[in-house]
Amino acid sequence: MSESDSARPVTIRTETISKSYGDFAALSEVSFQVRKGTVAAFLGVNGAGKSTTMRILTGYLSPSGGRASVLGFDPTDHVQRIELARKLGYLPESGPLYRDMTPAESLQFFVELRKLDGGAKAIDRVVERCAIGSVLHKPIHKLSKGYRQRVGMAQALLHDPEVLILDEPTSGLDPLQIRDVRALIRELGKDKTILLSTHILQEVDAVADEVVMIHDGRIVFTGTTAQLSEGGRGVEARFYELTRGKTAKEVA
Amino acid sequence: MFGIDRSSVMAIVRKDLRQYLANPTGYVFLTLFIATTAAAAFMQEGFFARNLADLAELNKLMPAILMFFVPAVTMGAWADERRGGTDEILLTAPVRDAEVVLGKYLGVLGMFTVSLGFSVAHVAVLAYLGDPDPGLMVSTYLGYWLMGALFCAVGLLASMFTTNATVAFILGALGCAGLVFAGSEPWAAGMLGTATLGLLFALGWYVVRSGDVAGAAFAGGLGGVVGLAFWLPSLMPWLHDEEGDNRFIEAFESLAVGDHFASFGEGIVRLSDLVYFVGGAAVLLYLCAFLLGRRHW
Repeated sequence: MSESDSARPVTIRTETISKSYGDFAALSEVSFQVRKGTVAAFLGVNGAGKSTTMRILTGYLSPSGGRASVLGFDPTDHVQRIELARKLGYLPESGPLYRDMTPAESLQFFVELRKLDGGAKAIDRVVERCAIGSVLHKPIHKLSKGYRQRVGMAQALLHDPEVLILDEPTSGLDPLQIRDVRALIRELGKDKTILLSTHILQEVDAVADEVVMIHDGRIVFTGTTAQLSEGGRGVEARFYELTRGKTAKEVA
Repeated sequence: MFGIDRSSVMAIVRKDLRQYLANPTGYVFLTLFIATTAAAAFMQEGFFARNLADLAELNKLMPAILMFFVPAVTMGAWADERRGGTDEILLTAPVRDAEVVLGKYLGVLGMFTVSLGFSVAHVAVLAYLGDPDPGLMVSTYLGYWLMGALFCAVGLLASMFTTNATVAFILGALGCAGLVFAGSEPWAAGMLGTATLGLLFALGWYVVRSGDVAGAAFAGGLGGVVGLAFWLPSLMPWLHDEEGDNRFIEAFESLAVGDHFASFGEGIVRLSDLVYFVGGAAVLLYLCAFLLGRRHW
């Protein structure tokens, strides 16, 4: 990380966050930070705790312990959560949408829910940016997975948020759709802070500046993509080492 | 009012109403409701034998009809959102939990009101056959609406506990059944009391232990056992009055919906009955907002 990078304010911060379901610890003392204007890949195998962390950051889920903040707002505080929601765009895993609605109806609903001024202009902007004009009036349940993901992305971008949290945005897409989504993320990363979860190693190289790696609910690596692959072993070998070569406890 | 943003609430109401009315299932339920209430009102010996243009026959059966119809409307309110994952985008939008709950509630209440509105055709039938008292009709329909409003809150709360709409329907119907039968059957009042104690124990544990669902289930079971102990006559003799009646059961008998609805069916609107329906719905909606605010699932 360069000196200018470390001078940028921290946008996303977690401090020893934990989440337990009975005896099962989904997250154990998760701490990391993402600075403003960074595209950070949240890397981990399925079930590592990526979605749980993101749900806590967005205020959808309460942590069992620890603290989180996004843009200085505490997502567990009822009042601050509302302020945060105005500046945060969130694409949950699998891009859930109201399947009986059309994309136009769905976007209009979120314009009304968010009380956006100039809602029609906001819709036009995201429709163009996410290239969903051709399917705008088709029921969402009839759209391909790729288009549904784009509609989900359009919903997340509708209010032009400062921070984007994207949970596996390329999951289930074909190679062409993946390329389009990655291009969109790179473009958005020019002026937004983005945390995107993935278990696809190529995604890290393709879009991310920094990597936060989680395994068994614990952070096992934070650093730049260059640091992840340093030593000439490559990202894949390092990922294997961090997630399989050692137990999470040993790594921690 | 109370810091509630009307436009956010109405956005949710419109979305939910559109979803109900765009779905063929909604119309099936609506048709069934009209047909069932018509049969309950007119296809009874008593209706013609009494030779009165009123809805007394329907009044007897309306609680039982709503006990099934309302949970059928409310079952998907939360369960479908959670199953489809759309609750994640709804609950991470800049909307207060109370606004989401109110929007959801007014959505199901709107659907019930539309259904009840169609059943006003029964009054037209009465007017064709005789000369119904307009005041009695208004108070009767106000009673139906208030009873439905209370059951909507019961169903909405039930829908929060599961991602399965069928389970939500069963839970909602059981909750409404407790209120319907509590006045006429001691066992129903006992069950209502047992379920209430179980729910209170579970919620208490859930709050103290910050979302420990397994522990809350155990605490709920324990609450149920305590309720059973209160209910069963030989275990708690001090709970019985001089006449041998169980005070625990008597307390829950007073929550029976039928007793509070009866006066509306006679053309009388009592403040105590209004407080029962409105207050009951408000308490249940507060519970919904409270559970939502905990953000533990």
